[in-house]
Amino acid sequence: MEALALRCAPVLGTADMTDDVARAAAGDVSAFERVYQAHLPRVHSLVRRMTGGRDADEVTQDVFVRVWQKLGSFRGDAAFSTWLHRLAVNVVIERFRAETTRRRRLREGDDVFDTIAAPVRSRDLSLDLETALTTLPDGAREIFVLHDVEGYKHREIASLLGISTGTSKAQLHRARMMLRRQLGRGGSAYEH
Amino acid sequence: MSTDAFTDRLSEYLDDDLRPEERRKVAAHLAQCNGCRATLDELRRVVSEAKALTDSAPASDLWSAVAARIEPAGQFHMRISPFRRAISSRLSFTLPQLAAAGLALMVLSGGLVWMARSGDPRADFQPVSAQVDTDPALIPAHFADRHYDEAIADLQGTLDAERSKLDPETVRVLEKNLAAIDQAIDQCRRALQADPSNVYLNTHFAEARQRKLVLLRRATGLATTGG
Repeated sequence: MEALALRCAPVLGTADMTDDVARAAAGDVSAFERVYQAHLPRVHSLVRRMTGGRDADEVTQDVFVRVWQKLGSFRGDAAFSTWLHRLAVNVVIERFRAETTRRRRLREGDDVFDTIAAPVRSRDLSLDLETALTTLPDGAREIFVLHDVEGYKHREIASLLGISTGTSKAQLHRARMMLRRQLGRGGSAYEH
Repeated sequence: MSTDAFTDRLSEYLDDDLRPEERRKVAAHLAQCNGCRATLDELRRVVSEAKALTDSAPASDLWSAVAARIEPAGQFHMRISPFRRAISSRLSFTLPQLAAAGLALMVLSGGLVWMARSGDPRADFQPVSAQVDTDPALIPAHFADRHYDEAIADLQGTLDAERSKLDPETVRVLEKNLAAIDQAIDQCRRALQADPSNVYLNTHFAEARQRKLVLLRRATGLATTGG
């Protein structure tokens, strides 16, 4: 989780924040609101990218409610931001699993990594990366965000998602290739 | 290995995630394939952009909804916040949840009041002092709290004005649950007149009032955002 810790480090670590985390763990709602405000952009951006924007606000709320419930178990062995980040990823993955289970009941046999892709926009339009992310299928987007945005390793992603590292690598490549096209860079004379 | 097979290895090549022998093969192919080199450059730019993404906060306030879900029992604060802020929070309850909450509240109220009146020893705990937050933005809720009454009246008035925007079934469930909560509040209030220091009753009274506030906030939010 070295890369992840590096990405999380700039948002926290002040003595005030450490104090607020301790106060929040003791039940201080005002301190928890300060913790929430400090970490909201990081958490919401993570959730928004992983979910493709669907229910991002609701899932972000779920994350902070879970943080509140679990704060007592935070022992300071890792940076609070790393702990919070991991918890947020787990909340999103749990939601994906619940949705996937529901979808499987409806569409038995479908490849779960192919479901719920947003409509693909014209290749003539160059999108920014944030928008292009929303066009990816759930599984490919989830792995791209974890690996390329958040810095997770394939073995960590495989463990989190219950897949093989080979599947993680294949889906990452698929996501990158789709994004390359969505970003208007796949139309060169050299395209395969 | 075909060109497509080489293309499929480009991400692993980019991530330096190939065994040495495979890496040499891909490198040799790249040296003589303009298409794969162009694709590799494009993939490199995608990865570079991903690492450069910046974080941003959501467009709307989420704290109100989070706060409503985490308020610790026995540490009841009533945040008197601007009404517009409260209604901007996302609604996260369903009709079955509302119905279940109302029913549970009614049953719990009846049970607690019965325990308190029947002399059940479990209701005979010593009263505990409420934890008062010193944050000036937080106003402790008291049983005769003018701010609470004003907030309820404000929310109730807005809900009455916007009621037509709600689905009739939603209105029916809301009214049923508000009635259940009001009944619980009334039961507690009458029981407290006979036993003002009963901690069960005091706590339950505060929680019932808080529940009414939260329900009204969510209902008015639902109505004013178009249901």
